[in-house]
Amino acid sequence: MNHTLKDYRIGCLLLALIAMLVLFMYPNKQQKMPTYNYTFIVDITRSMNATDYQQDNQAVSRLNFVKQTLRELLQKLPCESKVGLGLFTERRSTLLFEPLEVCSAYTEIDTTISKIDWRMAWAADSNIAKGLLSTLEMLPKSESSVIFITDGQEAPPVNPNYQADFSSVKGQAKGMIIGVGGLQSVPIPKFDSQGKQTGFYNPDDVPHRSSFGQSNLDPSQIKGYNARNAPFGSEAATGNEHLTSLHETYLEKLGAESGLSYARLTDLQNLSQALQNPKLATEKVVQTDIRRQPALLALLLLSLVYLPKVYKFRRFFARERSLVPKL
Amino acid sequence: MNLAVNTPWALSGLVLALLPLFNNGMRSSPAPWTALIPGDTLSAFVVCCLRLCAVAAIAGLVLGIAGLHRTEQSRERIGHGAHIVLLLDRSSSMDNTFAGRAPNGVDDGKDAGGRAMHGAIAEESKATAARRLLTDFVKQRQNDLIGVAEYSTSSLFVMPLTENKNAVQAAIAATATPALGFTHVSKGLGMAISFFEQQPVTGSRIVLLVSDGAAAIDHDSEQKLRLWFKQQQVRLYWIFLRTAGSPGIFDQPEDSRADNAGAMPELYLHKFFLGLGSPYQAYEAESPDALKQAIADINQLENLPMHYVERIPKQDLSAVCYSIAAFLLLVLFGVKFCEVKR
Repeated sequence: MNHTLKDYRIGCLLLALIAMLVLFMYPNKQQKMPTYNYTFIVDITRSMNATDYQQDNQAVSRLNFVKQTLRELLQKLPCESKVGLGLFTERRSTLLFEPLEVCSAYTEIDTTISKIDWRMAWAADSNIAKGLLSTLEMLPKSESSVIFITDGQEAPPVNPNYQADFSSVKGQAKGMIIGVGGLQSVPIPKFDSQGKQTGFYNPDDVPHRSSFGQSNLDPSQIKGYNARNAPFGSEAATGNEHLTSLHETYLEKLGAESGLSYARLTDLQNLSQALQNPKLATEKVVQTDIRRQPALLALLLLSLVYLPKVYKFRRFFARERSLVPKL
Repeated sequence: MNLAVNTPWALSGLVLALLPLFNNGMRSSPAPWTALIPGDTLSAFVVCCLRLCAVAAIAGLVLGIAGLHRTEQSRERIGHGAHIVLLLDRSSSMDNTFAGRAPNGVDDGKDAGGRAMHGAIAEESKATAARRLLTDFVKQRQNDLIGVAEYSTSSLFVMPLTENKNAVQAAIAATATPALGFTHVSKGLGMAISFFEQQPVTGSRIVLLVSDGAAAIDHDSEQKLRLWFKQQQVRLYWIFLRTAGSPGIFDQPEDSRADNAGAMPELYLHKFFLGLGSPYQAYEAESPDALKQAIADINQLENLPMHYVERIPKQDLSAVCYSIAAFLLLVLFGVKFCEVKR
């Protein structure tokens, strides 16, 4: 009896010591973890000011919703992931900073996202197809996936004769197009030079068709056609270009042409799901701390050595019982 | 010493550390009657020590498992440095060389988007030269907080004032993308000054304007800028990347008819800056070497004493916990061989 007892205590301590030895020899394990490298290109054209998102029962603009969602997304990205930021307006985009590691530069990225403003736009057109093309050309060899966030509202509308040709970049770029906005048309707010809202855009404020180059229609169909002076005819164009909605089919088409996938932004959940596309992830070998496992084993073994003797308790309770006066 | 743990619930394992108080973990040897054995202070002391060892070993393991660490600390120190906002011109002309050409040597080798068409770069563009030298500059200024703003037709907020030099370098590197539009310097200056709002006034505050052209500033903006420069106590350095043949900052008009802000925006902007009332220094750089000189000057001049916060990163203490626990385990194990065997 004594010998077995002795063996179990020394054995436990020996095993605990071996566990500690293992702990110091193999503190880390190499583990594969998906990390991401995104370059977010945010559309800051005027249609992004349309308020068709709801947040806390308040209407928020598309741009504010995008900013809010990106900031929340930033908190969820695993360390070692990188985020770059760019802006799109007119026919091209600009890069504010190259992708930065999210954990070490969290404050900087977060602050810059929060400062994105539609007034940063350096020109007023919104030619999304060309913007996407020039963005993909600008960042061809980067490891970063281009996440192009836009509502698909071309202003002025694109003449089908002069569409962007994505054949040069197709298959080279990886990334996504994220559609922003509601499917129902809403008016676009109009601001004065001081940044105060002065109403909404009227049908008269915006061009309803492109008047660049040659019309794509058969000249005999165009009223008042004159090849030199009125290639688009004499009729004033009418349309609903002063209203905006998410042009989903158009963006899907652009995605198919450029080889990017498409997803619609509804909330953080769906954005982070869409962005966790395994195509965009790179497996990185990360050192994970596994010292806990041998330490836990050592702890259990050590506790076993000092586990109160059960028979002592039994004796203690037996004594207690015997002290109770018998009636 | 601000201690914290990664997994607080793991601390519940500390209850296990009480175990050695109920059980000395030793083999019991039979004695006819324990009351016969006289009390021995030394033995009692040794037993007590051993129990404490066991308690400490268990506690050490539990704390290690819980991930004990010292939280990030900050220490205020006084050093030499400045708060610098780099205000970079992103107008299209920055993509040309100092000779006013596209970097490939062709007079107008640009496509509709303003991008240089050919990859072969015979000469450095102004933007490339500025980028290269600013990258070095940032490397040398270790204690500074540096922010980045850009402007073309409108101003861009790029990077808040930060001590993270990698972030600043990433922002400077991103100016390699094609430049944008026109030169709207007053908006850019306004944004650069706004970086200093809600920042403590310590050391010198600098706006380093790097541009290759100027524009007339309207009266309203002039007044606002005057006020803001005073309020925020900002010093201004203007590095003017002069293109060959274009008017410089210090050129006086030959003809009195050309003596206006529209015809000579550089001179008038310089005059406006001189009249700001805050320290101002202009450099006219006509080549990458001159630009280097200007940056070296600033590097030397702007080293006022400054309070800054040194961060001491989070320190992992679990390794210490494990080592102590392992040592105590070794002691307990060794003591086991000293037990009376009968």
